[in-house]
Amino acid sequence: MNFKKQLKEGLLTKNPVTVQLLGMCSTLAITTNLFNGLGMGLSVTLILICSNVMISALRKVIPSQIRIAAYIVIIASFVTVVDLCLQAFLPALSDSLGVFIPLIVVNCMILGRAEAFAAKNGVLASAADGLCQGMGYTVALVAMCIIRELLGAGTFGGGLLNNGEGFRIIPAQYPAMQLLMPVGGFLTLGFVIAGSQWLIKRIEKRKGGAKV
Amino acid sequence: MKQETMPRFILRISLTLLLITSVMAAALAITNYVTKPRIEQHTQAKILEAVETVLPGGGAEIPFSDATGLVDKVYASDTGYAVQVQPNGFDGAITMMVGIDKTGKVLGISVISHTETAGLGAVAAADTSAGSQFRQQFVGAVGSVAVFKDGGQIDAITGATITSRGICDGVNAALTCVAGLS
Repeated sequence: MNFKKQLKEGLLTKNPVTVQLLGMCSTLAITTNLFNGLGMGLSVTLILICSNVMISALRKVIPSQIRIAAYIVIIASFVTVVDLCLQAFLPALSDSLGVFIPLIVVNCMILGRAEAFAAKNGVLASAADGLCQGMGYTVALVAMCIIRELLGAGTFGGGLLNNGEGFRIIPAQYPAMQLLMPVGGFLTLGFVIAGSQWLIKRIEKRKGGAKV
Repeated sequence: MKQETMPRFILRISLTLLLITSVMAAALAITNYVTKPRIEQHTQAKILEAVETVLPGGGAEIPFSDATGLVDKVYASDTGYAVQVQPNGFDGAITMMVGIDKTGKVLGISVISHTETAGLGAVAAADTSAGSQFRQQFVGAVGSVAVFKDGGQIDAITGATITSRGICDGVNAALTCVAGLS
């Protein structure tokens, strides 16, 4: 395992959102402005690193018969810690993400990484895996946020830049609000997946071309 | 590997799980201890801000009786009341503050927290012109309010009739409660 490969997998070839299609619920629900996407992405990354490290450190202690129970306890605790900290120190983010922070507990991406990676690999590699997968999740979320916010609300950087108003790019009467609705989430997700597939194919082709 | 007997095995996995849960519970207890005062402070500040919005000058909490089951708290001042109500919206409860003067006229409403749909029901709480336009309709209302669809005088938020109805329920509960006070 090397970090470069893990990074490439997390960001592109095994991206949790666009390739593994994990954690769809929060992905579709909260990607309405940049602040939400970044906040959710970073929260998940932090929780993923913590739970991966802890599960990896305990992988020889936890009997396989009760591993799922042990993983869920660990993940749920980290999620609650992050949730409480957000409520205390970043109330604006906590308000706008609402129930989706506690719901990270059941985000199958985190349990998926615990089972598929952290339970079989060392602490450092698991931390790197958490970081890379989390970054992949964040990048996919931010891409969706930028598209949906621009076309749905006509702004960029809502909730974060320009005193939370975001910079208006399209005049207020033109944006299609549907993009901020669930239907827009599904449409945008489709296009983001298509885009990432195109990128993966392109990189593969270039590599293949270099060999010949 | 040496064969482990069943009772021993059960004891081992139980103790392992007990150990993990204990450690995590301790971590949660510490986090809760650190964050609790700050979270309470935020919640309190939000409520006070809402009271101040609907009842300039604020007020002090008073006891009340409520038949609707929607009223949480009542604050009173010399000029009127601020009633904290919790009607049901489209997607869970809406916590809001309704200001009512001594004659039973609505002074204004302010939404404290909600989980309505972004872009539709959430407009009711938004700091936008559409949001304040919607909330402004309630100012001056007496007796009871309802949306156009239900034969009332409130223009519901486009695509969010259920949310608008919820807000009306909240305002009505507050009006009923205040009528019972004086």
